[in-house]
Amino acid sequence: MYYQLINFGNEEFHAYPDKSLYWKRLNTLIVSDLHIGKSISYAKNKQFLPPYDTKEILNKIFVSLDKIKPSNLIIVGDLLHDVFSTLSLKDQDHKNLSQYMKNTDFIWIKGNHDKNIQIEGFKNFTNYKIDKLLFTHIPIETSLFQICGHYHPKVKISHRGKTIFKTCFIHNEKIFILPSFGILTGGLDIHSKQISDVLGKNNLSIYPVGQDKVYKL
Amino acid sequence: MNINKSNPLLLHPLNKWMKKKKWFWFPHQIETFQHVRSGSDVVVFAPTGAGKTLTGFINPIDDLIKLKKFKGLHTLYISPLKSLANDIVRNLEKPIKELDLNISFQVRTGDTTPYKKQKQKQKPPNILITTPESLALLNSYENAKEFFHNLKYIIIDEIHTFLDNKRADLLSLNIERLQTFSPNLQRIGLSATLKNKQDAKKWLCRKKPKIVSYENSVLPKIKILESKERIPWSGHMATYSINEIYKEIMQSKLTIIFVNTRAQAEYMFKNLWLINKKKLKIAVHHGSLEKNLRLKVENNLSKGLVDCVVATSSLELGLDYGDVEKIIQVGAPKGINRLLQRVGRSNHNLNTPSKAILVPTNRFEFIEAIAAIEEIKKNNLDKIDLKEGSFDVVAQHIFATACAGQFEINDLYKEIIKAYPYKKLKLNDFKQLINLIQDGGYVLKNYDQFKRIFQLRENKNIYKLVNRRETRKYRMNVGTIIESPMLKIKLGTKTLGNIEEVFIQNLSQGDSFIFAGQMLEFQSMKNNLVQVKRSKSLISKIPSYSGGRMPLSTNLANSVRGLLAKSNMWDLYPEQITEWLKRQKNASKIPKKDEYLVEQFPRKKNFYTVIYTFAGWHANQTLGFLLLRGFKEFNYKPLGFVANDYAIVLWSLKEVKQIKTILNLGLLNKHLDNYLEETSIVKRLFRDNAIISCLIERRLPGMEKTGKQVLFSSDLIYTVLKKNEPDHILLKSSYEDAKKNMIDYDRLKEILKKIDKKIILKKLTSISPLAVPIILEINRENLSKKETDEYILEDLENEILKEANVLSIN
Repeated sequence: MYYQLINFGNEEFHAYPDKSLYWKRLNTLIVSDLHIGKSISYAKNKQFLPPYDTKEILNKIFVSLDKIKPSNLIIVGDLLHDVFSTLSLKDQDHKNLSQYMKNTDFIWIKGNHDKNIQIEGFKNFTNYKIDKLLFTHIPIETSLFQICGHYHPKVKISHRGKTIFKTCFIHNEKIFILPSFGILTGGLDIHSKQISDVLGKNNLSIYPVGQDKVYKL
Repeated sequence: MNINKSNPLLLHPLNKWMKKKKWFWFPHQIETFQHVRSGSDVVVFAPTGAGKTLTGFINPIDDLIKLKKFKGLHTLYISPLKSLANDIVRNLEKPIKELDLNISFQVRTGDTTPYKKQKQKQKPPNILITTPESLALLNSYENAKEFFHNLKYIIIDEIHTFLDNKRADLLSLNIERLQTFSPNLQRIGLSATLKNKQDAKKWLCRKKPKIVSYENSVLPKIKILESKERIPWSGHMATYSINEIYKEIMQSKLTIIFVNTRAQAEYMFKNLWLINKKKLKIAVHHGSLEKNLRLKVENNLSKGLVDCVVATSSLELGLDYGDVEKIIQVGAPKGINRLLQRVGRSNHNLNTPSKAILVPTNRFEFIEAIAAIEEIKKNNLDKIDLKEGSFDVVAQHIFATACAGQFEINDLYKEIIKAYPYKKLKLNDFKQLINLIQDGGYVLKNYDQFKRIFQLRENKNIYKLVNRRETRKYRMNVGTIIESPMLKIKLGTKTLGNIEEVFIQNLSQGDSFIFAGQMLEFQSMKNNLVQVKRSKSLISKIPSYSGGRMPLSTNLANSVRGLLAKSNMWDLYPEQITEWLKRQKNASKIPKKDEYLVEQFPRKKNFYTVIYTFAGWHANQTLGFLLLRGFKEFNYKPLGFVANDYAIVLWSLKEVKQIKTILNLGLLNKHLDNYLEETSIVKRLFRDNAIISCLIERRLPGMEKTGKQVLFSSDLIYTVLKKNEPDHILLKSSYEDAKKNMIDYDRLKEILKKIDKKIILKKLTSISPLAVPIILEINRENLSKKETDEYILEDLENEILKEANVLSIN
């Protein structure tokens, strides 16, 4: 699988088209905003989305773990969509997860969607510091470099008379935002107020995610 | 008119009024009255101006007077348009008031106030005039049965506009529901003249079906604009003839210029305005304009306060604009029925002919215009194909039924298959649709505790709504018309209308475009409002509007082919056209009526294949995609194709040697599924299906979703569903829709079945005269959406890298 090399916080990262980020020096895989069980949560309000998102997200993660075999997996928040989401994790899913946990350390940073939920066998944190990097769902006041999720960034590209929207990795000098790893999750324009308030408008590095490749703008 | 002395209508309550007006009963009115009185369901075919509306009301009024002080709803009148419904009320008011008849009548549409609606439910009028959507809503109320149980007549106006779309499906299901409530209900259909009258009868009538027909003997006077200018090879904007069109407007009191797309309307309007030295009052009218602006134009039109209106199909139906003297049709007529409908907008008087001028915008359209005039002389109308009922509409109907109260599934199924479009609906598909409403109908059962409808424990065949709150969601989602995502345009605080979001996305701040006849400058987009200001710029982008591209009808296509083959007729055409055809004859060949000409020639390092199918734009577009795949398979290295109504051109790196082996029915069977996968056609139709079947919501009180968000989430659902449950009923439904509507599957199949024996292959050394128009259309990219996205990203990245003078990382 092709990856895009990204330099951030004096470290090298690989951005993959499956929307995961790999930190080679520490053999650590980073994902964000999986929103497992979003479909169940919608079903509550009688919006019946296909109930396959959980299965697909887990498969995607497992494929990535099999290939990379990281020592650590950091989930930067919103692993689950809400309290009902645990309903979509079946026994077999729990078994598979514990199998992978034998070789990989799962670090679950809580997001706004899943802060009050527990899953058996998962260690969780409000944020997690490694060297000069802080992993947190929503950026906080700090002098550290931060790797976050939450915003599901999406970039609008107008070129040769056509306009497309693409999910993207994006960072400024101090803050890195991962795209959502989920299946039924939408996105937020990087020029929206919410994202501009965090990243500012200048000196942004943007990496749109294509079919089999992560691009660089 | 010779009226039989035994005319039973002479005793009709309206006869006095007719006499006072010095009007006579038409024979078709007498005939309809008698048929309906003896218990028949009837479809009446008559041209505008032949008292069609009155014809529908003759029996109901007679009946109501005889019954004296009838309490409750007696007659339901269904109109395709809200504006038309209001017009009907005005027409009905005249005789009823003047004769002081004791009959109450009201209108009920989306514009009726909640207060009025509530009152109507408590105390229904004798006659209710409404639309299919409002009828569906009425049927979803708990007291629907009570409301309709005494209904005697249902009148469907302009029934020909309903037969071939999803609205027809919705209407047919609701008519059957009314019939269940009131078994004695009689049906009366009113239609413009149709070729396949029997089909309309089959669709509507159940009891002793009868057709009543009145043909107009006065033919419209249609001619082609005589132009001194050169008729362009290709293009659709008629810029060449603008001065001559202006002259025509000056010469008549009131003119409507019909064009085929909203973009053409804006363009034509702008160009007329530029040369409007006489300060004529010219207006523009199309479906995207704000309602108030539209109403203003309509009002001015009926009062004769304008000289000319440029319009799209938005002015085709309905209101009677008595003073319109001339119709100008710019662009190809595309179909006989459509042209007749438009031409009929002038001179609403049976005894004087309508007057119309056709302005072809290119050379093929010129032939098409001649063909259309010929066919109208022969009264050879287009056939309207009845459509088989769509699944998503049934799903919506099931939801509506549940809102009205608990239901037994076998009873509901039996009622649905009485509706003509659903005669062949399989019980198994129906059950899947029940499941779709219940919990999405997925194989993986994750939602047991969240169902929308549930089975009673004591009888598993009876379903009931879990929560009354759901009725509200149904009511927000009712209907089958799905607009593409639109944004409101604001000039200052004034709303001008709606524009496609896709179009706005392609604009940058400061770009100018024409809308509502004004040159505007794009300023910003906030909270789904597009803010604009007036612009002085002369360069504009025209609103694109995806809709409105009608394919050439099979009937008219056949006529065009016939005309081309008749070389003895050519001398009657303008010299440029004759010259063009003669040169084609010398350089290549003019195909006979049943032949398919294929030309091949080298040009600029590439190899070109042009196939003249006359199959209409949709079918040709599909065929182009299929041939691309076929060429790839034979390793001809195809680069692209362009299709129009008449032909397809493909270009490739290598010579296409075995066209006859590729171009046949096998092509369709082999590549169609792949084609549907790759283009976004099915995905787009899935969105409509998901909304119509209420799987996702259009909008909810308090959480107004923008069109974009709906589109986005339906795309995600589509992708997940296709991967995990390719047999899901909504995917099946979307594929069926794609085959029927978007790609003209049946038409293509018919052509490919017989094409291989009829191919005339011409190997040429250079481009032929007939091929020039389509070659000129080559400037678009024809890549699938997926490919386009990747291409844009790739290209942009390369450009930036080049600029920065670094090499690609990969």
